Amino acid sequence: MPAPAPAPPAADLAKRFGFDPVSESVMRLTQLVARRDAVAGDIAKIISQDKSLTRRLLRTANPRAESEADYGITTVEAGLARIGMNWVLLLAMADPVMRAVHKTFATMCAIDLKQLTVNSMVPFEGEHVLGEVRFSGRATGLVHLRMLPAAATLIAARLLSLPPEELGSPSEVDDVIGELSNIVAGNFKSNLCDAKLDCKLSPPNITRTTDFKLQKPSGNVVERAGFHAPELDLFVDISVNPWSE
Amino acid sequence: MSKKILTVDDSKTIRMIIQRAFRAHDCAFCEAGNGEEGLAAAAREKPDLIILDITMPVMDGITMLTKLRQDPELKVTPVIMLSAESGRDSIAKIAQLGISDYLIKPFKEEQLLEKAGKVIPLTLKAAA
Repeated sequence: MPAPAPAPPAADLAKRFGFDPVSESVMRLTQLVARRDAVAGDIAKIISQDKSLTRRLLRTANPRAESEADYGITTVEAGLARIGMNWVLLLAMADPVMRAVHKTFATMCAIDLKQLTVNSMVPFEGEHVLGEVRFSGRATGLVHLRMLPAAATLIAARLLSLPPEELGSPSEVDDVIGELSNIVAGNFKSNLCDAKLDCKLSPPNITRTTDFKLQKPSGNVVERAGFHAPELDLFVDISVNPWSE
Repeated sequence: MSKKILTVDDSKTIRMIIQRAFRAHDCAFCEAGNGEEGLAAAAREKPDLIILDITMPVMDGITMLTKLRQDPELKVTPVIMLSAESGRDSIAKIAQLGISDYLIKPFKEEQLLEKAGKVIPLTLKAAA
């Protein structure tokens, strides 16, 4: 029996199937951090070469600063020492995921979400809809999408191109929110796998809750982002332990 | 001549979006919610094209594709993968199993139509 042909390189696949290229610095950084024995100096070098990553690192390392002028920590090395290695992986991956949230809603629902600082948004009161997808393997964690029921109905109506009043049972809305959660989590999971942190996704789970608290198991790092569009607020939580094995 | 398309996805929403994408074209659809049902539907319906998700309960899309390629009657049926899975290693392995194309979710209906049109001839429905 002939040996299987070697797998085509990533660049060939991107060309053949028309994919967007993955940021080289994000790819190198995630692979480096995922090795766990990464040297801080190597990581600092990669971050320093990427303006967007540097900006995000310094913002994360200076959580109370209202502007860059207030930063007490101003170098990548000091920022790394402050936030820790677990955070670096999320730092590198959260940005592509937040872009994926925007692209998912724009492409599937024609909804143009604007990302806001979480502190500027009003927390949900009363019942809200929670879409949850877990992943497990070399990395473990979850992705949450949360919104008010009226927003979930609006999203489903836009995706299905129906007036909201013509939507059928709540399960129709749940299926839409489940699929959107799955797409966002799938993007994050794929980034983890590209960093050699292979893991599998669970099917999406949709619940309606009045009492949401994001669990933070030991070793996990958490990123929360807020998005807004007319008649719609959305929170996205990512919790990950990149070294669960 | 009408083309028969099998959509295999656990999300009713995605199956509906796929059918909507082809609404102006002369296509007939059959559906399955997982790989096991998909294999049975493929054997029964002999579709001209299969649009296949990866992450599904019971049997995932990679297992279904592997079994499909081992079946003498179905091994040449064109398959377009439609998945949120965009990991490069995973896509490389799937490509080696034999697929016509790969579309990452989220996707636009026009993108799916363009890719499908390269695999099977699509004709517009005759005006009523």
